[in-house]
Amino acid sequence: MASQILPLELIDRCIGSKIWVIMKSEREFSGTLLGFDDFVNMVLEDVTEYENTPEGRKETKLAQTLLNGNNICMLIPGSDGPNEDQ
Amino acid sequence: MDGAPPPHSEAPAATAPQVQQHTGSPTDFLKGVVGKRVIVRLTSGVDYRGILSCLDGYMNIAMEQTEEHVNGVVVNRYGDAFIRGNNVLYISAAEAL
Repeated sequence: MASQILPLELIDRCIGSKIWVIMKSEREFSGTLLGFDDFVNMVLEDVTEYENTPEGRKETKLAQTLLNGNNICMLIPGSDGPNEDQ
Repeated sequence: MDGAPPPHSEAPAATAPQVQQHTGSPTDFLKGVVGKRVIVRLTSGVDYRGILSCLDGYMNIAMEQTEEHVNGVVVNRYGDAFIRGNNVLYISAAEAL
């Protein structure tokens, strides 16, 4: 059988790199991953918070941030966020 | 119960072997941020900016000199504030750690 990669191992490999975090709601974060825990609470650095509203997307810049894992839906390692390739 | 972290004995069995926790884990961040100015955003979108007094593993937070911001506008000020952790979306450092 081909060697498997566990999901948390994939995230662990992303420590030190950029990551794009998509929440269950219309909100996303992108920044450098510093670390995470068993509940996938995440510590990010140089973060941009994206709020997707009917009026448009709002961006907020944050420094070191602890993101509560309760509302996280999807993680995309190595991505700059929703504005990548623009 | 939704939002409450399960006891450690129930930590996900699927993650054995345990992933390497480098510095920068949530507990390290929380130790480093106590006493600093922080921005706490709740899932409702309301911001609280103040000095972090203490917090626990559930992300329950006690803060001093807190300003409540709704849509970027200060609507309230509290000398002491306690926030129940299940509401917290993020805790962000407002000053260098």
